[in-house]
Amino acid sequence: MNTNALTIGHSHEGGVCVVTLSGRIDSTNANDLMSRLNALISSGEKSIVVDFGAVLYLTSAAFRALLVATDEAERNAAKFVLCSLGGHVRELFEMGGLLEVFTIHPSRAEAVARLA
Amino acid sequence: MIRSVDLEIHNDLSEIAVVRDALDRLGSELEVPSRALIQLQVALDEIVSNVVKYSWPDGSKHKFLVRITVQATGVALDIFDDGRPFDPRSAPEPNLALDGQRPRPGGVGIHMIKKLVDDLSYERIDGRNHTSLTKKCAIGAVSTED
Repeated sequence: MNTNALTIGHSHEGGVCVVTLSGRIDSTNANDLMSRLNALISSGEKSIVVDFGAVLYLTSAAFRALLVATDEAERNAAKFVLCSLGGHVRELFEMGGLLEVFTIHPSRAEAVARLA
Repeated sequence: MIRSVDLEIHNDLSEIAVVRDALDRLGSELEVPSRALIQLQVALDEIVSNVVKYSWPDGSKHKFLVRITVQATGVALDIFDDGRPFDPRSAPEPNLALDGQRPRPGGVGIHMIKKLVDDLSYERIDGRNHTSLTKKCAIGAVSTED
């Protein structure tokens, strides 16, 4: 069984916390993503960028995690944005009707610059 | 060219990794185009997680069957479970967001399945749900769309 289908890392670029996702986000691991994002928000991070550049695909379980994190960020007056949606990933956001729901930047550099 | 794999898993979200990995292996071995394979993986996760979460409201442990069939013209995903009747085609559309509000999660998965595959069918036979998803794609052909 592939237990490391999703890897979640984070680093800081200036005052911006960049969460780097790699692999697939599905119903087996979306809760891990939600816990990780909520933990960062409750630890006091005020600017969070989630980088999808290395994500193969995501399912509605991932959308749920991102919606919960967006609400959580709002409650904590934190900025929460996404970046680097590749072609297949962008198409999935579109199918879910969620492309307009999140703040999405084309690249990590642009997202960090906007939040810095 | 036809290849079919039967997988029996429990109603536990972590076991979805078993069917996911099996679809991956078949997909790469039989050269399912990458965009189709990604969309099949998403559809498989949506339909199987739905069965895991809702088919047995009592929360007890059950097994069910997932069949992946690769044919020259496409891929079929068949799920057989003895949980409560549920026709995914009858699922309501997700709540549309009111102006300036975020859509609530829920219903998005089934809505996506309808967009991800070419056919979604359902029948209840002998106390079992049989849900079938079919996606057309040219198997083994060199994909130009990726």
